[in-house]
Amino acid sequence: MNTVLVIQSLISGIMMGSVYALLGVGFSLTWGVLKVINISHATFGLIGAFLAYTLLKWLGMDPIFSLVVSVPLLFFLACLIFRFLIVPITKAKDVIVTSMILTFGIAIILENLMLLIWSPDPRLLTTAYTSKVLILGPFYFQYPKLAGFLMSAIGVLVIHFFLKKTYTGKAVRAAWQQPDAAQLYGINLRRISMITFGIAVASAGAGGVGMAFLYSFDPHAHNLWLIYLFLVVIVGGVGNVLGAAFAGLIIGVITGLSLAFLPYQWVNLLTFGLLMVILIIRPHGLFKGEV
Amino acid sequence: MKKVLFLTLCLSLVLFMGQRSTVRAADKPLVIGGSLPLTGKFAETAKWIEKGMKFWAEEVNAKGGLLGRKVTFKIYDDQSNAGKAVTFAEKAITVDKVDLLFGGYPGTAARAVMPVAEKHKFVYVSMGGHMKSFQQGYTYSFGGPPLMGEWWYEGFYQWVKSLPVDQRPKRAAVYTMNNPIGTSLMDSINRMSKDLGVKIVINEKYNLPLPDATPLIMKAKQMNCDLLFSSGFFADGVMTVRTAKALNYNPKAIVQGVGSIIPAWVKELGKDGDYIFSGTVLHNKLGYPGNDKLNAYVKKTYNLSGYPLYFGFGYAWMQTLSQGVEGAKGLNQTKIRDWLKSHTVQTIAGPMSFDAKGLPAPVNYCTQVINGKVELVWPKEVRTAEPIYPKPAWK
Repeated sequence: MNTVLVIQSLISGIMMGSVYALLGVGFSLTWGVLKVINISHATFGLIGAFLAYTLLKWLGMDPIFSLVVSVPLLFFLACLIFRFLIVPITKAKDVIVTSMILTFGIAIILENLMLLIWSPDPRLLTTAYTSKVLILGPFYFQYPKLAGFLMSAIGVLVIHFFLKKTYTGKAVRAAWQQPDAAQLYGINLRRISMITFGIAVASAGAGGVGMAFLYSFDPHAHNLWLIYLFLVVIVGGVGNVLGAAFAGLIIGVITGLSLAFLPYQWVNLLTFGLLMVILIIRPHGLFKGEV
Repeated sequence: MKKVLFLTLCLSLVLFMGQRSTVRAADKPLVIGGSLPLTGKFAETAKWIEKGMKFWAEEVNAKGGLLGRKVTFKIYDDQSNAGKAVTFAEKAITVDKVDLLFGGYPGTAARAVMPVAEKHKFVYVSMGGHMKSFQQGYTYSFGGPPLMGEWWYEGFYQWVKSLPVDQRPKRAAVYTMNNPIGTSLMDSINRMSKDLGVKIVINEKYNLPLPDATPLIMKAKQMNCDLLFSSGFFADGVMTVRTAKALNYNPKAIVQGVGSIIPAWVKELGKDGDYIFSGTVLHNKLGYPGNDKLNAYVKKTYNLSGYPLYFGFGYAWMQTLSQGVEGAKGLNQTKIRDWLKSHTVQTIAGPMSFDAKGLPAPVNYCTQVINGKVELVWPKEVRTAEPIYPKPAWK
């Protein structure tokens, strides 16, 4: 057995999976807390990627620093969308299905706007450290993947501690666990829901930058990214922040090991086959569905 | 007497109406219909095809039209959906009753439209959908010029053959996307391996999207492969090249499939995209008549130094179709087909004579990205730059 290849594939897979986790954590949160399946979640990630690309090209700003611009911007945009588009559909009989239809529409509109602004050409984030590597013995740690991994670790932990330690975060959890009781305790459900949606979308922006470190992207890329989102949520459990993080890592490990041991054409089959097995055995995901 | 006068009047009227209708037919524009993916993932390329076709029409109309009739297009947007391309081809033929059909894009759409053209006996000049689509017995379809995966690395193969034996690569790692385009690219690799003794050490297919190229490159590096075939599109192609750089993998040559000849490759990868070999059937630096004119037009209109590949394709397909129409001296599709199968057409991709399948003789030029430009490096007679081999180590 080629141990170096196996470990290298694992390292690479874990770093890749962690980025999926950052992109997916907000998707899970929106689904769990608001019962909104935000099909446009990956599209917001793509906006984050395009903003990073533009700021890098125009101002030479590092994509990680571009988050200072894109995260608040996406948070604000998400609050507006929540106020004017999501709130009205909360009165619908079936919020989940209605939200899917609505956010699918939002995704199409955003995709077309991106096509107008950035054209359909594929893009790459190329920074000074794009081709740099940290070499530890026989193992290579590519800087862009490391950057994505660190961004993901920080992002997931920030969201986790926000939910566990802050008053607003606790209110979000209360709203998820007992919405009626939370209201009785004076929690403004609409405000809390708006903040949750804002955080989720803003985290997608950060996840989008992480994805752009790994892959080329164009305005249609969100369709593919959305598949990874579902994968993360289904494996990690709806609404579970740390579950999403572990799900990303698990997906990364499986992909890495598949690439090391199996013919490459089996990798996607195995990854999505696993998704089906998890759905059959644990329909609520590997981890308990709780914010 | 009255009867004679009445008959004369009727006859005059009939003759007058006949003359008028003849004049009308000549005045009526010649409509060429079909669809292109003007929106969706293939839109950017398709818009260049449309521009190439329209430039051809502009030229033809300035010279008095085709068969003396002004040319117009009826172009539907198939939204990058091969199924819709079929629907629109049917509609163009049966509802719009267009005079001619134009070639679609990409290969999946062309492949789907070819049986429609055959059913309605309409000549269809397009890129085709690789060799298999031309092996279905269709008689009205032509690849003029085609985009043939099976020929893609032919130029590279011939160039390697021209190298002294001791300088040729010895061990190849072959990574191929698992779809009809990717697998069609294997044809010339297998022939090269057999003919030149290049040992295929790794031969792996992957399904798109490729999640990570690290294991692929690491394996190729560990197995000392001095030739890397990365037979994929842009996304997997750039990932493979970037990973090769990150892992400091320096084979003698990297050969990339479809991704490296599109403008985004050079624009986005910059210097890292240099020295990559690929293939093409058409290039704006070919010396065939018409290329200079097209280059001048895109310089003036779009401020580009050379026409984009698919602008050229749109133009060339119309060149082939129109020569068939002129040769057949009419719009009888069977006569156009027969004329094309028995004569040589002159296009910006060179002269072409079509075989029973509707294909010209195999042609492929080897390209290499040098200083951010896709240069022709083989055959020697079309060479625009000396090939750089072995590939310099990553900086």
